[in-house]
Amino acid sequence: MVEPLYEVLSRSAVVSLSATAIAMVIGIPLGTTLALWRAGRRWLLTAVVNTGMAVPTVVVGLVVAMVLWRSGPLGHLGLIYTVRGMIIAQVLIATPLITGITMAAVRQLPPELPDQLRALGANRGQLVVRLWLEARLPLLAAAMAGFGHAISEVGSASIVGGNIHGHTQVMTTAIVENVGRGDFDAAIFYGAVLLGLAFAVNALLVSVQHRRTAWPRD
Amino acid sequence: MAARLTAHDIRHRRGGREVLHVERLEIGPGERVAVLGPNGAGKTTLLRLLGAVDRPSHGAVLVDGRPVTDVDQRRRIAYATQQAGLLTTSVLRNVELPLRWRKVPRGRRRVVALAALERLRITHLADRPAVSLSGGERQRVNLARALALDPAVLLLDEPAAGLDTQSRTAFFADLDDALADRATTVMHVSHRPEEALRFADRVVVLVDGQVHQIGTPEHLNRNPADDSVAALVGYDNLVPARVQPDGAVLVGEASTGLVFDGAAGPATVAVFAAGVRPSTELRGLPVRVERVSPGPGHCVVTLNGAASLLAHLPVDTVVPPVGTSVRVVFDPALSAVLPSGRPTSRGLKASVTATSQDS
Repeated sequence: MVEPLYEVLSRSAVVSLSATAIAMVIGIPLGTTLALWRAGRRWLLTAVVNTGMAVPTVVVGLVVAMVLWRSGPLGHLGLIYTVRGMIIAQVLIATPLITGITMAAVRQLPPELPDQLRALGANRGQLVVRLWLEARLPLLAAAMAGFGHAISEVGSASIVGGNIHGHTQVMTTAIVENVGRGDFDAAIFYGAVLLGLAFAVNALLVSVQHRRTAWPRD
Repeated sequence: MAARLTAHDIRHRRGGREVLHVERLEIGPGERVAVLGPNGAGKTTLLRLLGAVDRPSHGAVLVDGRPVTDVDQRRRIAYATQQAGLLTTSVLRNVELPLRWRKVPRGRRRVVALAALERLRITHLADRPAVSLSGGERQRVNLARALALDPAVLLLDEPAAGLDTQSRTAFFADLDDALADRATTVMHVSHRPEEALRFADRVVVLVDGQVHQIGTPEHLNRNPADDSVAALVGYDNLVPARVQPDGAVLVGEASTGLVFDGAAGPATVAVFAAGVRPSTELRGLPVRVERVSPGPGHCVVTLNGAASLLAHLPVDTVVPPVGTSVRVVFDPALSAVLPSGRPTSRGLKASVTATSQDS
């Protein structure tokens, strides 16, 4: 049975947007903490995050599949070959990227800024929110990079989702499947639609960036 | 009078090394204190500890007798760091933001922020993006942001850093005006003696993380505790000397024209350049004129011989030509004699309080 395109497309969007949102909730505070942390072992965590950014998605898929497998430690949750399982895998893929970019974004702020905000009476929450607002443009870039990484990956989606029609098939796994069948027209069509989706999301974020950058002239 | 700001035996370590130790420092309400010291003396470290930006490795900072540990107590202090640290929003919003953190209602925030800008004569900048400001404008906004909080204690770290002489003068004049009707305790860090001495009721001289002297500007000018203090308050010449039993101060075997009523023995003579005078008699230090150059309102004369000296002679003085041998004496009103072995910061620390001065 061939699944309607819009269902595959919307599943792709739901999985990747959900994973990006969760990865931002984890990665932005984590990256900020690492950027502001002055302890000597910061380099070690930075190295771990940077390594995480380079881990192949199939390796992430393999590890998540082993954990979620029926006989695995979280097998009782029944998440293997589900959309939720795919989201978990993509969160693990996007989080190091968002954490790393956030860390760089906060570090590139003027070094005196956190101290000046603290000196003016900001509590911890007010300080962090203000730093995020100051770094809003690179943070949006982090979101875009995380989403781009999640929606374009095929390794973990195949392994954890299983490419089940009408259930866990997403755009990337559909392309792989069509190429495997020799149906290049369908694969190209899916590819073009996927590209369009990625463009639409990024265009939205760039337009937000643009509005935020604009300042009234004197 | 109870102290407004107290530093009680604060020590700070960095990289396994103690970089600051202030045994006791008390500053009264409305008092203006300058911290003077060379680069790396620990001035900014001291301000960061007093402003609760950093925690001391040991000791406590108190405002009105209460330790500065929670946010409410910290908010009684406003600390303007050396770099303005302005946010990428309008000037007005920069000034309003710390008020918002203190839950000041929106309408009141606007009024207070505009009044602070007005006090520093920068109301016209209110709607400008802070990123578009010049260095001087940024420093003024930084100060307005701190003043808007009406703090009990205002800490200023080199507030006019990076400004030219004219702008610095205007900046401090406006700061004086802005603080004129307030009982704010102000602590101001500088490495420029002319600013520290002019602006302050008392001056704390910090060298290598230790307080070397505390006193009024006049007291420091007349009685620097040691060579480092003398150099910091602006004495141009520090000359090794000897005090004779009769009080005469000699450099080598030559008379300086000074008489000291302290103990005989080795000493250092500190002399402002303006205090080096040509001697019309045969007594005085034999020196040779090495160089003569024009200065603002005086001639700058470099002398070498019994001592290496810098002299500022009035423009109407007949300046001897380069290569001439002359004798010079020191003006007692512009000189200080510092006996060797005089107590320095280590001996003074215990007596450093708001009410006591070394002598």
